[in-house]
Amino acid sequence: MEALAGASGDALGSSPVHRLDPRAKCVVTVLFVVAVTSFGRYDVSRLMPFVLYPVAIATLSGVSAGSVAARTLAAAPFILLVGLFNPFFDRQVIVRIGGLAVTGGWMSFLSIAVRSFLAVSAAVLLVLTTRFDLLCAGLRKMCLPRVFVTQLEFLHRYIGLLAGEAQRMVRAHDLRSNGNRPKLALVVYAPMIGLLLLRALDRATRVHRAMKARLFDGEIRVLRPLAFSRSDFLFILAWGGYFLVCRFADVPGLLSGLAGVR
Amino acid sequence: MSHHYLEVRDLRYAYPDGTEALKGVSFRLEHGEAVGLVGANGAGKSTMMLALTGLIFASGGTIDVGGTLLSKKTVGEVRRRIGFVFQDSEDQLFMPTVFDDVAFGPLNQGLSEPEVRERVTDALTRVGAERLADRPTYRLSGGEKRAVAIATVLAMLPDVLIMDEPGSGLDPYGRRLLIGLLRDFRHTRLIATHDLDMVLDVCPRTIVLHEGRIAADGDTRTVFSDAALLERCRLEQPSGMRK
Repeated sequence: MEALAGASGDALGSSPVHRLDPRAKCVVTVLFVVAVTSFGRYDVSRLMPFVLYPVAIATLSGVSAGSVAARTLAAAPFILLVGLFNPFFDRQVIVRIGGLAVTGGWMSFLSIAVRSFLAVSAAVLLVLTTRFDLLCAGLRKMCLPRVFVTQLEFLHRYIGLLAGEAQRMVRAHDLRSNGNRPKLALVVYAPMIGLLLLRALDRATRVHRAMKARLFDGEIRVLRPLAFSRSDFLFILAWGGYFLVCRFADVPGLLSGLAGVR
Repeated sequence: MSHHYLEVRDLRYAYPDGTEALKGVSFRLEHGEAVGLVGANGAGKSTMMLALTGLIFASGGTIDVGGTLLSKKTVGEVRRRIGFVFQDSEDQLFMPTVFDDVAFGPLNQGLSEPEVRERVTDALTRVGAERLADRPTYRLSGGEKRAVAIATVLAMLPDVLIMDEPGSGLDPYGRRLLIGLLRDFRHTRLIATHDLDMVLDVCPRTIVLHEGRIAADGDTRTVFSDAALLERCRLEQPSGMRK
């Protein structure tokens, strides 16, 4: 909850990744997601070279692995739910590792999980290394519909407000629960969620009033103009090329072949 | 003739549940005047502040800001002229950095980049917060947040400043700095507060609001000397006047 409440902190860094134009990072993220999700249902090993991208971006930007992992894992229940039934329906053995027979269901489940975690981690890194207002300014420049971008801006803003209110309520609750979370949690948490929504709405109304008082007309303007430089172009070219090679060539196969020859 | 005046005539407002928050309030603030708006909780101060900036529309009466009558058509013009500092600075600071927050209003006014930069620098210097420009807004102390919230409004060069509880949540030192700042301003000022000592320090004139009506309007020391009035309006004489 605290991570969500202060989510914008990482995005204010000044690493080479932070300094890239948001449009360049958007394009590379989209290319990454498209490349990763376009693999076949049983492909797992060929996804491995794609791990380099999130690792490299996290390292270069100075964003901690824990910070990325915590946010990526938040999507885990949804990811696991998508592939949960594959092992039950697809029981055909497609590969044997030592004496262990691996069915198509387990392979496709693993493939879905790896692809999803990679895609989510790339999106998380995009948000953690880019100021959200600049990201939205970039999306506007890329001609995305204004309504869509404004919705995105408000969603981001209200998630922060909701998380902040939730943090205060949880603290107040913990202080009066003798250090123990009650066993009948639902009885306590259900009304708390309703109250949280009302409090967040109140807060959102006050923030919206403050924005209107300063002539907000539906568009958040930022001063720092976006400038697409040579390094942004090279960033797209380098990663785009890498994704292309990894997508159409069996890099792990080639590497293991080379290792076998030696 | 100055356009920096604010005139309210017979202002009325009732909430959707029927509660009458303002029951015919009238007053006029002249150019450069600093006026305290005091009253107990529920007297109608915050409702008045929201109505003055067109954030809620009164059910009766008129608001004249320097010759512009507030209506749905003129609300943008009125908000250009009136700077509103909210009670909770957390509500007022919504951009990632101090610089962006102060630039928010001037950018919405359609100013050019050099003009916006100049306005931001001037406003932050005015409140002594120029060193905070690149700081994230959520990492500021209470006093810094208050100073930046005031700067966000000053950057729009308003004719009239209205403030809702500007001293709330400040430590004594922060409060003292704020009083110095408010005294230095030459804007027409309307300051709603429970801090009667602050009113005594900053505002030569005071309006007492009680149950949606004006109970007194006059010289601050005279108003605060009327023990019966203060008692009736659930207020206490400021410590600076007690014997």
